[in-house]
Amino acid sequence: MAKISFDLVSPENLIFNDDVGMIIIPGKDGDLGVLPGHSKVMSSLRPGRVMVYGEDKNLLKSFFVSAGFAEINPEKCIVLAESVDEINNLDKNKIKKEIQELQNQDTEDSKQQLIIANAKVDALNSSFYEKI
Amino acid sequence: MPSLKDIKTQINSVVSTKKITTAMKMVAASKLRRSQEKAVAARPYSSRLEEMLSSLASSAASGEGIIKLLTGTGNDKSYMVVPISADRGLCGGFNSSINRETFKLVKSLEKDGKKVQLMPVGKKSRDFFIRVMKDQIIESFIDLNLSNTGYESALQVSNKLQDLYFDGKFDKCILVFNKFKSAISQEVTQQQLIPLDVSDTSKEGKEDNNAAKAIYDYEPDEETILKDLLPKNVSIQIFKVLLESDAGEHGARMAAMDNATRNAGEMIDGLTLKYNRTRQAFITKELIEIISGAESI
Repeated sequence: MAKISFDLVSPENLIFNDDVGMIIIPGKDGDLGVLPGHSKVMSSLRPGRVMVYGEDKNLLKSFFVSAGFAEINPEKCIVLAESVDEINNLDKNKIKKEIQELQNQDTEDSKQQLIIANAKVDALNSSFYEKI
Repeated sequence: MPSLKDIKTQINSVVSTKKITTAMKMVAASKLRRSQEKAVAARPYSSRLEEMLSSLASSAASGEGIIKLLTGTGNDKSYMVVPISADRGLCGGFNSSINRETFKLVKSLEKDGKKVQLMPVGKKSRDFFIRVMKDQIIESFIDLNLSNTGYESALQVSNKLQDLYFDGKFDKCILVFNKFKSAISQEVTQQQLIPLDVSDTSKEGKEDNNAAKAIYDYEPDEETILKDLLPKNVSIQIFKVLLESDAGEHGARMAAMDNATRNAGEMIDGLTLKYNRTRQAFITKELIEIISGAESI
């Protein structure tokens, strides 16, 4: 099966760069599954999971991105993310505490962070896409 | 003629200065390596963002709101100049060249009848401009602590700039910073940040972009993406510039300290020679005194 080159980049560094079988990214209007030979798309992202699969559709890695953009063409998929966490490194209790703190604040900034934190919990709880 | 003790004290003080400059050089060298790595690590993001933007920018029409970051306000009256210096000194001409260049730029803009405002980043340029043109400073950023906070600190600067821009406080924004060329050389560079200089960005990725330009699908749509992308680009550009300047600072400090160490070494050699000569002269003088004393008896 063909492969597609996938880059996951955060402002601080290059996080993932390899040829993979498939990627699922959280587009603003819905999740996008990217296979080799995908048509050219530029999309902005909502907070959610970026899932990376190997050639035989086994899950290689999953990341959480808070926002960003994706550029897709038949050979390459680039995700520019605002901030990236590996899902396995997220700590549910810590995030829940964070949510409680954020709920008590009432600024524009904290509302944004709350949305992201809630999305993190959703990402941790959801198990779909794990086997395809 | 100075006494032996005077020379000895002088030597000792130069020796301890040399120790300090050597240590500072080592510290700067290791910091340089780290910040260089960071600058390199940040490069993929900014270059890819530029690629995306250049394929979008060509299709953008002029309009209101965020798109003004790309198209400009249509005016050319007031400027925001952002000099980026270090927080600390002892790094050769690093800070003063930024200050001098900015000062020149401000004067020449003023001569053309433009209104100029300043937003210095870094203690050294802030202190300088507080002295020379205090009432033009809108805001200043010091102790950004780039090595720990990274992108967050660039966001502070970028958000402030964009707030001011959308309040109509200025039409154009120019960054003045030290571009990191190599470990020993930096180049003072001016970069127009707002409105975005598209001709510059599209040049870099021209080959593959010309072919790829028109056929992208946009999700949700072109305008929304552009609206997200443009403010981000401003932050990323600032981030990149801050990293470059940080690496440049350490490079400049390393070179300056290397020079200082060498000079101290030379000075010690000279002083030691002088010390030995003086000592010898004293001995000779005493001998002559003894001999002539013995002769006269």
